[in-house]
Amino acid sequence: MWWGGRGQSFNIAPQKEEPEMGSVQENRMPEPRSRQPSSCLASRCLPGEQILAWAPGVRKGLEPELSGTLICTNFRVTFQPCGWQWNQTLVHGYTVLYLLTSVSGLSRVQLLRPGSLHKFIPEEILIHGRDFRLLRVGFEAGGLEPQAFQVTMAIVQARAQSNQAQQYSGITLSKAGQGSGSRKPPIPLMETAEDWETERKKQAARGWRVSTVNERFDVATSLPRYFWVPNRILDSEVRRAFGHFHQGRGPRLSWHHPGGSDLLRCGGFYTASDPNKEDIRAVELMLQAGHSDVVLVDTMDELPSLADVQLAHLRLRALCLPDSSVAEDKWLSALEGTRWLDYVRACLRKASDISVLVTSRVRSVILQERGDRDLNGLLSSLVQLLSAPEARTLFGFQSLVQREWVAAGHPFLTRLGGTGASEEAPVFLLFLDCVWQLLQQFPADFEFSEFFLLALHDSVRVPDTLTFLRNTPWERGKQSGQLNSYTQVYTPGYSQPPAGNSFNLQLSVWDWDLRYSNAQILQFQNPGYDPEHCPDSWLPRPQPSFMVPGPPSSVWLFSRGALTPLNQLCPWRQSPCQQSPSLLAVSSRWLPRPAISSESLADQEWGLPSHWGACPLPPGLLLPGYLGPQIRLWRRCYLRGRPEVQMGLSAPTISGLQDELSHLQELLRKWTPRISPEDHSKKRDPHTILNPTEIAGILKGRAEGDLG
Amino acid sequence: MLGKGVVGGGGGTKAPKPSFVSYVRPEEIHTNEKEVTEKEVTLHLLPGEQLLCEASTVLKYVQEDSCQHGVYGRLVCTDFKIAFLGDDESALDNDETQFKNKVIGENDITLHCVDQIYGVFDEKKKTLFGQLKKYPEKLIIHCKDLRVFQFCLRYTKEEEVKRIVSGIIHHTQAPKLLKRLFLFSYATAAQNNTVTDPKNHTVMFDTLKDWCWELERTKGNMKYKAVSVNEGYKVCESSAKLKDAVFAHCYVLSITRWLASKRSSINRRQKEKPHLYLEGDLCQFGLPAYFVVPTPLPEENVQRFQGHGIPIWCWSCHNGSALLKMSALPKEQDDGILQIQKSFLDGIYKTIHRPPYEIVKTEDLSSNFLSLQEIQTAYSKFKQLFLIDNSTEFWDTDIKWFSLLESSSWLDIIRRCLKKAIEITECMEAQNMNVLLLEENASDLCCLISSLVQLMMDPHCRTRIGFQSLIQKEWVMGGHCFLDRCNHLRQNDKEEVPVFLLFLDCVWQLVHQHPPAFEFTETYLTVLSDSLYIPIFSTFFFNSPHQKDTNMGREGQDTQSKPLNLLTVWDWSVQFEPKAQTLLKNPLYVEKPKLDKGQRKGMRFKHQRQLSLPLTQSKSSPKRGFFREETDHLIKNLLGKRISKLINSSDELQDNFREFYDSWHSKSTDYHGLLLPHIEGPEIKVWAQRYLRWIPEAQILGGGQVATLSKLLEMMEEVQSLQEKIDERHHSQQAPQAEAPCLLRNSARLSSLFPFALLQRHSSKPVLPTSGWKALGDEDDLAKREDEFVDLGDV
Repeated sequence: MWWGGRGQSFNIAPQKEEPEMGSVQENRMPEPRSRQPSSCLASRCLPGEQILAWAPGVRKGLEPELSGTLICTNFRVTFQPCGWQWNQTLVHGYTVLYLLTSVSGLSRVQLLRPGSLHKFIPEEILIHGRDFRLLRVGFEAGGLEPQAFQVTMAIVQARAQSNQAQQYSGITLSKAGQGSGSRKPPIPLMETAEDWETERKKQAARGWRVSTVNERFDVATSLPRYFWVPNRILDSEVRRAFGHFHQGRGPRLSWHHPGGSDLLRCGGFYTASDPNKEDIRAVELMLQAGHSDVVLVDTMDELPSLADVQLAHLRLRALCLPDSSVAEDKWLSALEGTRWLDYVRACLRKASDISVLVTSRVRSVILQERGDRDLNGLLSSLVQLLSAPEARTLFGFQSLVQREWVAAGHPFLTRLGGTGASEEAPVFLLFLDCVWQLLQQFPADFEFSEFFLLALHDSVRVPDTLTFLRNTPWERGKQSGQLNSYTQVYTPGYSQPPAGNSFNLQLSVWDWDLRYSNAQILQFQNPGYDPEHCPDSWLPRPQPSFMVPGPPSSVWLFSRGALTPLNQLCPWRQSPCQQSPSLLAVSSRWLPRPAISSESLADQEWGLPSHWGACPLPPGLLLPGYLGPQIRLWRRCYLRGRPEVQMGLSAPTISGLQDELSHLQELLRKWTPRISPEDHSKKRDPHTILNPTEIAGILKGRAEGDLG
Repeated sequence: MLGKGVVGGGGGTKAPKPSFVSYVRPEEIHTNEKEVTEKEVTLHLLPGEQLLCEASTVLKYVQEDSCQHGVYGRLVCTDFKIAFLGDDESALDNDETQFKNKVIGENDITLHCVDQIYGVFDEKKKTLFGQLKKYPEKLIIHCKDLRVFQFCLRYTKEEEVKRIVSGIIHHTQAPKLLKRLFLFSYATAAQNNTVTDPKNHTVMFDTLKDWCWELERTKGNMKYKAVSVNEGYKVCESSAKLKDAVFAHCYVLSITRWLASKRSSINRRQKEKPHLYLEGDLCQFGLPAYFVVPTPLPEENVQRFQGHGIPIWCWSCHNGSALLKMSALPKEQDDGILQIQKSFLDGIYKTIHRPPYEIVKTEDLSSNFLSLQEIQTAYSKFKQLFLIDNSTEFWDTDIKWFSLLESSSWLDIIRRCLKKAIEITECMEAQNMNVLLLEENASDLCCLISSLVQLMMDPHCRTRIGFQSLIQKEWVMGGHCFLDRCNHLRQNDKEEVPVFLLFLDCVWQLVHQHPPAFEFTETYLTVLSDSLYIPIFSTFFFNSPHQKDTNMGREGQDTQSKPLNLLTVWDWSVQFEPKAQTLLKNPLYVEKPKLDKGQRKGMRFKHQRQLSLPLTQSKSSPKRGFFREETDHLIKNLLGKRISKLINSSDELQDNFREFYDSWHSKSTDYHGLLLPHIEGPEIKVWAQRYLRWIPEAQILGGGQVATLSKLLEMMEEVQSLQEKIDERHHSQQAPQAEAPCLLRNSARLSSLFPFALLQRHSSKPVLPTSGWKALGDEDDLAKREDEFVDLGDV
């Protein structure tokens, strides 16, 4: 937990605020204010949520100032503007969790700590979110009302005691009112075999099948119930092979490139095990997956460690505080000092190298990370974003995150600081930053907008769905109870929920309408989306030796932008004197040297034609820039707490233009009802930004008004 | 990489790696040679351009990925440019060449664009200048538009090497006379076929009418008048003479009488021999022929100190407050002269202080703002970040990018300029004060700050025509010494200060932060910055309008021939085809909606009320005391006794500034109103398009701003065609014609460097001599890795 050491001073002039507060109070006087809002608010609470304190106040710092109620519950601090719906409040009213940096007392700004103060008059409270948001609420009557004091103290105490794990573990999501009967989740949650099969077919991964070996989470609790393994491998072999990997996370398919290469991910080799010959054979078969040569990528190499990420994020947060003491002319070196952008750049660079390997060179790549739950997910998602145009759609991206992060068992709760500080590292936020960089660099290639990324960024800590609040698919499944609907669960102490609820419990973060209004969800679409049209016939040349058992298969290690041949895949086969138990234990400098000169290797062994270098890149592949000047700071996310924050998340003019365009098309369509074949508007490419029904909705009134 | 080239180069701390030596093998040379002979590229010469020297079989290095290869061709040097004629243009994509400059080709470097020339002797890089004893095997040319050319001369005949190298060095570095500029030979030769663009509405401010028009537009004509006292540059001329006279005779008491007699004699002489005297650079403070001063100011005063010490009007705000500028009086030692100056200034000050004029606040730009020296140092550090000889060097510096950037302090200088402009804007807008900018010659930072203020306050200046008129008014007519500041004549390196470039960079920050507010794009600014070095346009090749006009006539034959017709840079059709010009125009710009009558009335009412305010208030104004102080301050300053402590550093003003700034930014932006930039640390950015455009590593294929832009243009086009269709349906006419394809339509993916990068990377990826964020091993290690590892980027 982080206290924001710089938060002592704020640029507030409390004297000037007072008259405004008075006027606010006047305005609000006629409104009947119930002294006991719990009754009306209670229905809007999450299950298990209790209102601890509340006070009327005015939200400041943003135009327009809104009057409403500051509420502190056992889950969160929220500001609810008057007359707003609950779900809007969640979004707009800053669902800030335990985020307190300072409270302004008697015309001076103070950092509040539990127990530090007992008597003060809070005029204004400033709450800095861990997600870079800032909530600034001025209390009515200059904070003289007891409620203001109460809510402040409640927040301070909650901030001090809070342990997210405790809070969230109490949630039993029984949102009876939300789902109406059986509804399909907007994004396949990858919790059923059908989801995996559908996705496998979509990727046309013919050499692969869905394995049910982990259906009862007995291979690994951190793995999803289903995953893809090579066709020819039996489930028994899978089980056998997976035992020799760290935490049982053996090699699984992440993504199949249409050209024939595969992207796999796996954990580190479990060094203490003593595999027999068949085991080793099974492991090798799974890693090779029918390819004659594969490239092993040590994910940790060149990328920051978890501690690095955490430290950088803390520094970044300190730097982006509104009152950060860094002088303007020293800002850039301070930013450099956080190293956050360096890490973003390192991730992009590595992902870009790997995606060239997979797509342009058509080699299979195995991502190996000891835990296989952090950077592997980051890299494999980035590689897919770079190489697969489908992953850049709104749907594709969400299912990508669901598959590579949520289902793959990224320990969200731990990494986001839910279970204590020791293993906290916002890897997922680092990933979102990387995606934002891509969005910046390729504004026409992504169907989703910056606003969507922000929404995702902010959803990470919202306790209304389980998506980001559990560490493993097993825990998630246990909680939502959907395990019951498929198979019997041997979980001691688990009580069966009412059967009728099982569908409603499948709410995920992708149910955006829980938190965002329709107008806001419309903004998730990138108006500039204009993907390159890839000819369908295009396929990269398949690996010439694909599935041919001819020459002895070769294994390569990719490290620091270069390839080195490896003698073998697994660390166990050779005599014990070969003291490299796991690849990950070996520094890349130790690696065996290539026997032949490097140039000839590249040409012969890889079977690359000499003109290959001059070939155009496969269409749809994005190569991000990662030079110093090209990696930017995500201002709209990190600098939101600063006064100079920009209003409006997407450029108004582009959407304005879009509106005008569709308006004109509509007009034209109405005037020429019959001449549709020549109608210009019909010739629009299918990637129109808004779908027709939405356009119709927006324009209905306007067009009719104009015509009438 | 910083500091490279300061001590004759040497390539930083390490010994330079032989990164370009062995890539071209002899076999390749022969094959290339054949191609060259097959496809001889002809040299395109402009009218009046002369070929001076040339060399054949020169190898130009082309940087592609991490490897370099070479292209053979001829290197020629004319009196206009250095050009390389190779055959690599055939490789270019059609789309990319559409934004071709008609004057300057891809491989052309105008002589004025050359920044530094280096020679490589035995793999050591040295700056080349003067007479050479030994000729280099490789020539590296750094351009002022940040291109870097590398020519290998190893396969060229020795004779030719000598000729071309010394030719290039001489023609780019030797001091030149003004009359020897290519500008004049071009104008003489192209006299007949220059057509002035009738659609070019840029106000040139070279007639009295233009100034009156501007006065009327800004409603400044109530308190200010345009004067023609300097018509024919009488004041200027007297200045030159008078200066000598003052120093020589020092007849202090009779100075006025002397002046009068001198003036009449000058007039007389002028009638007799109009072309006899005055090379332009004698006239230090270049007043334009016409300018605007406060109405009550007597015209004699203007002539008294040759235009020094006179408040000259720049612009009037809608609330009546005005921006003025004044060049300081020359510093004198003599008490008598000081006395005269003091009383003169007192008189001036009384005139402009009295109602109807608002309270005047003086901003002394030469004593406690930026110094030109600072700007020069910062830019020369800054540009080294982008002048890259080879990739290795680039990657070495990339890790420390932000700290290097910061240590150049170029961005900080930009921030300070913007901040100063906001402060002045605050004074005028919120406090309703007149602001008087004061500078030695009123021609450097005065131009910069006053243009910035107008850009922020006057939406007209954000249109293309308005912006061009602004530059014309403040910079060209304002007497910014382009010749000296760009060092076009190579006469004094110390005078070379990129003030105008600094201005463009400040404008870029505004454009970047508020794109919909400007009719022009960043490409426009980039192209404009390049035009500084093209000597066929007169705009940026004179120190003052006076210098220009005195040099316009042809020598000897003054009676019959008309003056030379010099091109102006605002005639963009000289450089670009109409299609390419679409890239200069911001598709998102929406013109200001016309106000309806009711609104207009309200405006006028408000306007008048504000006008009357200072009249009634000024006597009892609490700021009276403040103002007194200012008067003294002004006078002290003008008399050369600089006071470091300034009023405006006081807390009160800082608070005002902060409040003004914060309150503006907390509201939503009106693109046709006041426009302020963000100046916080993260908001000032590098003008990537200008500075990164020649660096292949910085290219993002299919990405960058261009991707959005092309989408936008496409949509605009569709909107237009739809509108046309609807109109036609309305009038029930026949089917519309097919649209002409726009520049970016149907094109393949462009790169982020579009429209400038003509280099296209074909292969997949540079595999880098990676130096990641982790502390890498020592250099031995690095070297080893390069040897051992298989390079993925094999080409």
